[in-house]
Amino acid sequence: MRLTLAIFLFISAPVLAQRTDAGLKCKYSGTDFIYDCVIRLSRGGEPLSGAQVSVGADMPSMPMAHSIKPVKARPGTKPGEYEARLDLEMQGEWAVKLRISGPVRDRVVKKVRFD
Amino acid sequence: MDEYAIGVLTNIGLFSFVALSAWLLLVAGELSFGQQAFFGVGAYAAGICTAMLGWPLPLAALAAMALGAAAAALVGLPTLRLRGLYFAMATLAAAEMLRILFELFHWQIALGDERIGPDGTQGFRGIRWMFERGVEPLDFLAIVWILLIGVMVIFLRIENSRLGATLRALGHDPELARSAGIDVDRLKLGVVAAGGALAALGGALFAHHNTYIEPRNFDIMLGVHSLAYGLIGGLGTVFGPLLGVVLDIGVLEATRSLHGYRMIVFGGLVALLLVFRPRGLLDERAVHWIKSRL
Repeated sequence: MRLTLAIFLFISAPVLAQRTDAGLKCKYSGTDFIYDCVIRLSRGGEPLSGAQVSVGADMPSMPMAHSIKPVKARPGTKPGEYEARLDLEMQGEWAVKLRISGPVRDRVVKKVRFD
Repeated sequence: MDEYAIGVLTNIGLFSFVALSAWLLLVAGELSFGQQAFFGVGAYAAGICTAMLGWPLPLAALAAMALGAAAAALVGLPTLRLRGLYFAMATLAAAEMLRILFELFHWQIALGDERIGPDGTQGFRGIRWMFERGVEPLDFLAIVWILLIGVMVIFLRIENSRLGATLRALGHDPELARSAGIDVDRLKLGVVAAGGALAALGGALFAHHNTYIEPRNFDIMLGVHSLAYGLIGGLGTVFGPLLGVVLDIGVLEATRSLHGYRMIVFGGLVALLLVFRPRGLLDERAVHWIKSRL
């Protein structure tokens, strides 16, 4: 394993400058607390395809108590589009966390209200 | 190790900081429902330092700890005159005031084509110091646990020192401790400040793990849980709050199939435990029993 304490060096330069933009739309699947979500990723205005996207979520008021196990998103129908099914514990506002790996590595958090 | 397991272990480590800070006050005889506020102070302070001011994380974490200690001392100065439930209520009120201040706190700067910084109820995005330096989740887990073990070693040394005995005496009977020549007010203020610094360190790491924080992360739920960790795990040893966090997260993870009802199940288990073991699983008697057999 890389020497983790190396990151504690006081001088270290960022390795990522450009950030990933993410759009997220979720709709009720018809089963309680289960939602089908479409994620649109882009970088520098261009759709980001071929990435591995893991989707997790937690409730802001208790991130540890109410969280869901991350699921892997599958590629969607359009470039830069991914789909994932979220099985939440309850309705309300959730912080949906996208962990992106593959051609780029990034992490995006989106706040979504599930009703 | 898969991403989920790393996440669970990281959460256990992160919440152990705030659990230890609440435990420290419990040992000194004070019930605080407000440690989540200093966790929040640390998260915001460290986030501002790295994301907006460009400081390195270690410096930001130190600044967060100093600010957490100062905020806790500021809350402690007027509230430590109170006793028992009155102190508990005062800490809760102070924590809620701080949370509302986070909701009113707007300070953003332009970095490239986006604005970074606290944006009231919308939260604070882009705390990416760790992430932008390519720190993998497993690396971050190691950092959290190295720091946590370091804190626990310090606590263990204190526990076996004169200061530890003084703290226990203070927790059992402050008047008796005062009559034995202990400067109770000063010691309690020191404990409160140390608890604030510790919670703030946890908050600083939490903010950088999450990359996003918002005022609701630091509400009463976290305060109740952090206090419960010490009470469940036990007040007899520094391992108590850690055991509390492991049991809490373990039970919550094991009862996932119960969906939203699992918090009710968990609450019931905590209530039962506190009826039968009011000072937690690893209380003073249990610790003495274990030590006598080692």
